[in-house]
Amino acid sequence: MTRRRSPYPYWFVLPAAVVFTVLFLVPTLASLWFSLTRWDLFTASFIGLDNYRQFFKEPFLVQGLVNTVIYAALTSVSKSVLGLLLAVLLTSGILWQSFLRAVIFFPVLVSTIGVGITFTALMHPTRGAINIGLAAIGIHGPAWLSNPELALYSVAFIDLWKGIGLATLIYIAGLAAISPDYYEAARIDGATRVQQFWRVTVPLVRPATVTVVTLSLIGGLRSFDIIWATTRGGPGFASDVLASVIYKQYQAGFYGLATAGNVILFALIALIILPLTWWFNKREIDL
Amino acid sequence: MSVSQSSVVLKNLTKSFGAVDVIKGVDLEIAPGEFCVFVGPSGCGKSTLLRLISGLEEATSGTIEIAGRDVTHAEPSERGIAMVFQSYALYPHLTVRENIGFGLSLAKRPKAEIAARVEAAAAVLQLGPYLDRKPKALSGGQRQRVAIGRAMVRDPNVFLLDEPLSNLDAALRAQMRIELTDLHKKLGATMIYVTHDQVEAMTMADKIVVLNAGQIEQVGSPMELYNAPVSPFVAGFIGSPKMNLVPNVMGCATYGIRPEHLDLSTSAGQWQGTIRHVERLGAEVILYLQTEAMGELVLRLPGQSAPPPGSIAYATPQPGRAFQF
Amino acid sequence: MTRRQRNSGLIAMAVAFVIFILPFAFTFLMAVKTKKEAALMLFSWPTEWHFWDNFTEVIQARNYMLLLAYFNSTVITVAAVSGLIVMGAMVGYVLQRRPSGWNKVIYAGVLMGLIVPPAVVPTIWVLQGLGLFKSLTGMVLIQIAYGLAFSVLLYRSFIATIPRDLDEAAIIDGAKPWAIFFKVILPLLKPVTVTLITVQSIAIFNDFTNPLYYLPGKENVTVQLTLFNFQSQFQSQFNLLFMNILLVTIPPLIVFVFFNRQIVAGMTAGAVKG
Repeated sequence: MTRRRSPYPYWFVLPAAVVFTVLFLVPTLASLWFSLTRWDLFTASFIGLDNYRQFFKEPFLVQGLVNTVIYAALTSVSKSVLGLLLAVLLTSGILWQSFLRAVIFFPVLVSTIGVGITFTALMHPTRGAINIGLAAIGIHGPAWLSNPELALYSVAFIDLWKGIGLATLIYIAGLAAISPDYYEAARIDGATRVQQFWRVTVPLVRPATVTVVTLSLIGGLRSFDIIWATTRGGPGFASDVLASVIYKQYQAGFYGLATAGNVILFALIALIILPLTWWFNKREIDL
Repeated sequence: MSVSQSSVVLKNLTKSFGAVDVIKGVDLEIAPGEFCVFVGPSGCGKSTLLRLISGLEEATSGTIEIAGRDVTHAEPSERGIAMVFQSYALYPHLTVRENIGFGLSLAKRPKAEIAARVEAAAAVLQLGPYLDRKPKALSGGQRQRVAIGRAMVRDPNVFLLDEPLSNLDAALRAQMRIELTDLHKKLGATMIYVTHDQVEAMTMADKIVVLNAGQIEQVGSPMELYNAPVSPFVAGFIGSPKMNLVPNVMGCATYGIRPEHLDLSTSAGQWQGTIRHVERLGAEVILYLQTEAMGELVLRLPGQSAPPPGSIAYATPQPGRAFQF
Repeated sequence: MTRRQRNSGLIAMAVAFVIFILPFAFTFLMAVKTKKEAALMLFSWPTEWHFWDNFTEVIQARNYMLLLAYFNSTVITVAAVSGLIVMGAMVGYVLQRRPSGWNKVIYAGVLMGLIVPPAVVPTIWVLQGLGLFKSLTGMVLIQIAYGLAFSVLLYRSFIATIPRDLDEAAIIDGAKPWAIFFKVILPLLKPVTVTLITVQSIAIFNDFTNPLYYLPGKENVTVQLTLFNFQSQFQSQFNLLFMNILLVTIPPLIVFVFFNRQIVAGMTAGAVKG
């Protein structure tokens, strides 16, 4: 018996599959090999785990790894907490609600490099508008981006400034999906506004929380351009993250080492995101 | 076999989805110009059988002939069929004119011919004023007619209609039953019509095919099925309210008697019982009688008068009307 | 509106003004100042307005590099987004309509595309092997490869809402697979296509990292890289640097004003179902 052709032929997938395989999957798989080599793009000589050893031996590379985790944790927690609070505020029918939503969201769409340059100027220790503003109310502002203790957190703040609009937007969509019946039922049961927030909003907005946390963690772990536009990982290596370390090694011509950094970044994301996704899904079944 | 003998011939047709046999060997002949209705409860395989004929599903084994040609492995568009879907499946982004002419334009027919055939179909279906509207701007009945128009311009040997009236309200459905019957007479084409509604089957069909669990239970004209059902299944499916079927009485496996073939008396009769419930429909009364011998019997009595619930009454079958299976 | 809602709105507006609007105002004011005044980096009203001078100077800088960058970025964005639309929709369509063992493979690819960071140096190696390194074509294909996962997911969930009866009606009407897809399905995907066009074109237009790695060279400069290049050159010319930022921010602003709703729909696609 001859089988007739399906109306949904697999060759529809082919163009996408070719592009994706050649330019994404092949390099990803190749990175596993090249990370074990000394490599100048033309010849690669196998050196075992030397690149990885070097990575974990050099203090500034290790610091990049630690910074990546701090940066991602900081940005994703602050985005989800502030995002939810802002979303609640911006769905409560306040004055100029839709204009405020637009204002908070717009930074998401503008050039990261532009934002970085602008904030570099605003955060200038002596002439920047932030410290001049703080001085006006009697506070001596620190050197936001050039103090090694502070630089990473200042960049994380700029990231929060730029990304909070997206988190808020996702939470607004999540809140819109909660039936008002729940709030009415809670009010009839005598729940206060605070109780409604903790007992109704927080549990029922969970899908949005999952999205915000996952997206901002992935984004935070991979973050590069905002750091490059502000501190370039400096001062010293104080605000270096894996992505900026990879770029620096690449620029310096250490392609094998840069690729090992890539594999480590990949492993770090997998180690954080996969258990988290599994945990989120498990909780979903419990509900 | 000559072409004119039969319009559709199914021979030992089967269809399995994985391990599940949905159609278990169907043999059927449908004559040219016949209005044939597939009827049965949901899950009986009637829609699958229609989709096998259309070619949307491929048969697991057996053959399908349409107009004398073996089309078992032919593409749907090459079978000389047209289909009207339950949801109408009108293309939402196209106007009525483009919807009806879609197949012709795919076949690269000349523009003038497409226009002429679309206009002709629209004239028959009184869709002229709506040709430049989108489906969204039409009523349910109009959409139904567009779906039929799209089938008509294909000039098919066989029209396949999959529960085409089930999305309409009761009043419109009754009207469309008549319109479809008229259209069938006008076009003289073979039509295969799937429904779960035995009223549609009885009122529209030349030939009814009763399906049960993937097999044909009985084939016949509406009156043959009503007067001579071959099984309790057919007997119970055709007629409303459904036939009283009582197992293991009167010396047979199943004894059947239609509600309209039971007479009621308050003084004497074959089966004594208590009236449980009375439904007055105006022209007739549906009466539920709880009997000792036969369990609950349903009776259909003309007029409006009936004894009150709770009283004792007797039911007696009219002679020669009972079935023994 | 209650008094409480009005007062919260007023307070929120005041805070949003300081935090979100002032930085943009700062960018604008810097962009219109003279070179000397901008070098002070103060948040102050310009004593002289040099909008047009700065504008023309930025445009002419480095032999009209900004115009070349606009051209390159536009070409990359338009080509990559077109590719993403057609390829993403085709994959989403087969994925949704044809359940099979391959779907697991496709989903695994989609998941990888969403979370795995691209291995940059091996990608350069592949591009060099194909002769596509430092080429606009290579950049377009890279953007397609990186954007596919999101497009496929968005299309897949939207196609699930299109009844299969339409495909079957088209089959009966004699449509071949490509005709079903391009004449029936793709036109019906318009809402999600508009969403994808806006979201992806902003993302690709704003992309900095990928052109930095895969598209070095003056003749290939993209809009975001002009900022990066000018950052060193304009160290003493902040007015021009900020004028450049201003010009780079305008296209997303326009898209935002006209397609706000679609952007919101695209960016929140995962929020409800998770």
